[in-house]
Amino acid sequence: MSIIKYVLRRALYLIPVFFGITLLVFSIERLAGDPIQLLTQLNPKINEAQRQALRHYFGLDKPVYAQYLLWLSELFMGDLGSSYAVYSGVSVNYLVATRVWTTLEIQLLGFVFSLVIAIPIGVLSARKRYSLLDVTITSSALVGTSIPIFFLGIVFILGFGYYLGWFPSGGAQSTIPSQYFLGDQTLDHIWHLTLPTAVYTFALLAPIVLLVRSSMLEVLRQDYILAARASGLSERTVIYKHALKNALIPIVTYIGLYFGGLLAGAPITETVFNWPGVGRLFVDATNVLDFPIVQGIVVLITLMTLVANIITDITYAYIDPRIRLE
Amino acid sequence: MYKRLRDLTPLWRGSGVSQWGLAWRRLRRNKAALAGLAVVGIIGVMAIFQNYIALYPAKCLVGLQPQCPAASGRTDSWQIRVPPSLHDPFGTDGSGYDVYSQIVYGARPAFLVGIGATAISMALAILIGLVAGYAGGWVDNVLMRITEVFLVLPFFLILLVFLRVLEAGTGSGTGALWIIIAIIGVFSWSGAARIIRGEVLHVREFEYVAASRQIGSSARRILFRHLFPNVLHIIIVLATLQIAGSILTEAGVSFLGFGDTNTLTWGRLLTDASSNVKQAWWAGAFPGIFITLLVMGFNLLGNGLRDALDPRLRE
Repeated sequence: MSIIKYVLRRALYLIPVFFGITLLVFSIERLAGDPIQLLTQLNPKINEAQRQALRHYFGLDKPVYAQYLLWLSELFMGDLGSSYAVYSGVSVNYLVATRVWTTLEIQLLGFVFSLVIAIPIGVLSARKRYSLLDVTITSSALVGTSIPIFFLGIVFILGFGYYLGWFPSGGAQSTIPSQYFLGDQTLDHIWHLTLPTAVYTFALLAPIVLLVRSSMLEVLRQDYILAARASGLSERTVIYKHALKNALIPIVTYIGLYFGGLLAGAPITETVFNWPGVGRLFVDATNVLDFPIVQGIVVLITLMTLVANIITDITYAYIDPRIRLE
Repeated sequence: MYKRLRDLTPLWRGSGVSQWGLAWRRLRRNKAALAGLAVVGIIGVMAIFQNYIALYPAKCLVGLQPQCPAASGRTDSWQIRVPPSLHDPFGTDGSGYDVYSQIVYGARPAFLVGIGATAISMALAILIGLVAGYAGGWVDNVLMRITEVFLVLPFFLILLVFLRVLEAGTGSGTGALWIIIAIIGVFSWSGAARIIRGEVLHVREFEYVAASRQIGSSARRILFRHLFPNVLHIIIVLATLQIAGSILTEAGVSFLGFGDTNTLTWGRLLTDASSNVKQAWWAGAFPGIFITLLVMGFNLLGNGLRDALDPRLRE
């Protein structure tokens, strides 16, 4: 089957999934009741007529199905609506767009670092199986998968931020230019970026190490590795040329899944480090029931996940010819 | 001689040991899994006998109430942020509670979250996985589309929205623990359902299933008498790992302030302590360590069970 045909068919499948999710998010939110009532109930200066005007302004006076359809139609135009509360009236597109890069900085850097570090460690662990080194690596990786990421964040802030004083404990930039690290804005930003990225890298590292190790062990058992060794190739060539290439196939799936959820992993890390990204925006918006922001971010993540899934499948078929797109 | 032979071939089949017996033998030889079992067991004992293991009654301020006296020699009545000592092994927190006792009382909610959420999610996963795999056709197709919606959904974010919305909708304080448990359960079954379905597709092709169908067994009988017991090993592994995941999820929810403020969970202890961690590191360190330990215990056990129960992964 040709790739184009496959993509089209998958996309067709994903349409009901996408609508299912928009419907789910929308209906969950409506369980809360009238958002305007909730937002203004503590404000004695607002009267009923003003509430009605607000409802009209945000289109909340229409029946629920009409609200849903309106939101969907705007969505297709690429418009995520306007914020109710946190940044009242500001378009969600703008709010997300200005924060996406701050989030991606940590996420992408952390991801690249963790891959670069995890692959050699995983390979090493698989080669020296059951040795002291392997046991140390696998058990630290297990601790890594079991530790809550905010606990790790607090430990890093306390250790490197407070006791050692090497890095700032939160935020993306010093408040006053005179406090800039080495007097430079960019360096100051990198300085702030270090701790959150380190924590994020650490959290991502552990599962990848375990995955690379088990995948490598699986590959090293195959006959073609035996054949490669028997033909007198050096261990280095066998491991890095023959084995690693095949062992990385499951990692591609992992990367694909990861990229889909790229923005979803952010709320906790960003809250620990007071990082002004999409995750924090989501938490703040959820707290005050600012539905357009919540819906917008969920839809965005869903779309990313769906697209990433298709790309992963195609890459998968490309690097492993045994897999056919069906 | 007989014993020697058994040692040499520990998986020897001649003794009439069941598959579960064999799995237990394999598990018993796995040190990591046993360590996990031990950690889970110790914390489990803590949860069951909490009143005997805790130093002080729940909600008792050290030094202020007669049931929880301060260490002798300490004159200040308000015993906040006392560093760890023999008297308060993990110190006291910013309010004056004994951290050790709080951790003991937090063990029960931790198990409740892990096992409760997993029970719900596994019940759903088993039902959907079995039915989809066995029925096939359009039933399978519809169920798998629904599963995909839940797979693609940003689970953690939806969890936060749901908790906040329920709180606003019911006008109550933050979500009660059982609501958090229910929501984690309802939104985390999709991965397991897909794996169970895949396994059912494999098992239902076996001859004993065909034979059972031939002699006129009902669908329900085939599902629960033949298919379910033969995918049970996978369910056990998935459930153990799910318990670990649920405990971590609840901790995250508590950290972001969407947790149950009336229940003492380790996540909440850690969160409360994080605001003055610079003055009292112990109040945050110990809850964090206990979350990590329990989650690791379940993870180790889950990995061990997978090695012991899944013959295809065995070497």
